[in-house]
Amino acid sequence: MFVGFHTMLRTTGVPVGLGEWLTLLQALDDGAIGPSLKEFYTAARAVACRDEADFDRFDLAFSAYFQDAALPANVRQPLQEWLDAPIERPLLSPEELAALEHLDLEQLKALYAERLLEQQERHEGGSRWIGTGGTSPFGQGGSHPTGMRVGEGAGGRGQAIASARARRFRNYRSDVVLDTRAMAVAIRKLRRLERSSRRLELDLPETIDRTAKNAGDIEIVERPERRNQARVVLLLDSGGSMDPHARVVEAFFSALKRGGGLREVEVGYFHNCVYSELYTDMAMLERKPLEKWTKSVPPATHLVVVGDAWMAPRELFAGFGAIEYGMLDPTPGIDRLQELAAAYRSRAWLNPIPDNYWGEPTIAAVGNLFPMFPLTVEGMTAAVSTLLGKGDKRQRPLPARAAQ
Amino acid sequence: MPHAPRWTGTRSYLADEALQTTVNVAVALGRPLLVKGEPGTGKTLLAHAIADGLDLPLLTWHVKSTTRASDGLYLYDTVARLNDSRFGDRDVRDIEQYIKLGPLGLAFDQSIPERRVVLLIDEVDKADLEFPNDLLHELDAMRFRVAETGREVVAQARPIVVITSNAEKELPDAFLRRCVFHYIEFPDEALLGRICRVHHPHVEDALLAATLRRFLQVRSIPDLKKRPSTSELIDWIAALKLAGVAVEKIEQGVPLAGVLMKHETDSQRAARLRAPAARG
Repeated sequence: MFVGFHTMLRTTGVPVGLGEWLTLLQALDDGAIGPSLKEFYTAARAVACRDEADFDRFDLAFSAYFQDAALPANVRQPLQEWLDAPIERPLLSPEELAALEHLDLEQLKALYAERLLEQQERHEGGSRWIGTGGTSPFGQGGSHPTGMRVGEGAGGRGQAIASARARRFRNYRSDVVLDTRAMAVAIRKLRRLERSSRRLELDLPETIDRTAKNAGDIEIVERPERRNQARVVLLLDSGGSMDPHARVVEAFFSALKRGGGLREVEVGYFHNCVYSELYTDMAMLERKPLEKWTKSVPPATHLVVVGDAWMAPRELFAGFGAIEYGMLDPTPGIDRLQELAAAYRSRAWLNPIPDNYWGEPTIAAVGNLFPMFPLTVEGMTAAVSTLLGKGDKRQRPLPARAAQ
Repeated sequence: MPHAPRWTGTRSYLADEALQTTVNVAVALGRPLLVKGEPGTGKTLLAHAIADGLDLPLLTWHVKSTTRASDGLYLYDTVARLNDSRFGDRDVRDIEQYIKLGPLGLAFDQSIPERRVVLLIDEVDKADLEFPNDLLHELDAMRFRVAETGREVVAQARPIVVITSNAEKELPDAFLRRCVFHYIEFPDEALLGRICRVHHPHVEDALLAATLRRFLQVRSIPDLKKRPSTSELIDWIAALKLAGVAVEKIEQGVPLAGVLMKHETDSQRAARLRAPAARG
């Protein structure tokens, strides 16, 4: 039942699984859904959608599928007959008839489409539409859709399609799905719990143990709560070439800051490449020398760099390579990156540009120093397991051959 | 399956058709109903209204950031038992008396075939990321075992579970798949009027109409930090009535804007709406 609709939903991008679909059919079976299209619409939406962002796609699929199938037979049948027999048309004035003769099929179609569109958007009752649409020009198109739209208004049925077509939920739709949750879940794996918090909790087993030894005289034992000790140093490339990736970087940033439950996240910014100093603010006003970032790194600290590593070769390989005003560093950027890499045993580079570009010389060079991963949920998951020393440690020969 | 009476809202909770259908589907399927929507559109009240309308008992579980899934099932009060072992007069060998069922546990325990229980899990997104996943098994199986006593708590009838979320965190897919989802839309003007009537049956028509117009105008200011919603409107009308504000005042500006707007900048922008509210 409604297998076609299920397929339609999936093609439109509503992630409805078979299980949910069976649930819906069961609801139909049980009589939990009344015999009206409107109720079916609501129920199907409630079961199929997981988020209001899906509503718009659902509406699209619904109106596409049901504009044909859902029209009740008692409405569709006469309509079809009516459209099939375009002879009885006493309403046409001679002028209209005259005008009609000048319209070829293409014009008719265009006009027809225009009217349809008009009707759809205004959402008014269909009676007027019958008056216009039902008369001869559109009969010629032999168009079932016309019939469909007539039925909607006239029969007072199929309101669900009307409301589906209104697409009220368009604003909730977000085609760019930034799954911060999945990212946060990945980051969470960095967690390293240690009992070094200042907050105390009751150590129950120990308390019972001591109490028993104490011949039943209660002795309360407390211990520090477990706290996440993992720290992350996050370096963000804020160069111009990163602008197109702002949203995904933002999502990553908020996942790291809020969702990860890390002990500390220290953030630094750089422009294209790391030189003698890093910035501690987005506006790039406050500077902090690189040696402060590389000196005495506390344990359980992970370095994550987010950047495209895509720049002019001299920015990376030549002394005084920085293109920003006031950044005069005789040491080439690649050596500075080497310093960073040496200071952080646990490090990863997340690159927002697709990995088939990673053969570019600067990206390849950076990829030799930092295990590089795409800035996607999968990439992050892989990066986290590298940071934790699981999985394959070195993806060294990453790019070079990736792009010909 | 015995047919539960259809839920059609209550006298004080007006529900549009879509909401009614969704609630009835969720009830019939025994699936948790996940409700989202702007703050103040009556997500939490919905559970109360369902319990009211179907005349069933209601249990509520307000989730906080520190709530763990197991808290909902039961708590084993070890400290009390330890204390009793030394000072108390209760028989500490009876562990059962130290097991306190949580809201979910109670909902299972109290569900008898003829009488289901409505369980509200409020603001599920407040808790830890994994919280909803930790509930999956119990919500599916409608049973769990108390490890300390070996007792199995089994629901005789599926509780009607209403879960609200403010979308602060995304919920896991596996959890969403099991829910029936509804997004409470902001009511249109007609429904809004009816809702206000329910809460303020004796307010004069002129005042109500002027307030509604003004309210919708305020809501349409773009980029408000927090758009006022139904609950604020109801409070606003109450405040206007209490303060005895004349209809003309409402037509000239936004009196008592503090009831509607909760952000400084929002109030300032609302205050600029000095021109008479557009009519009809």
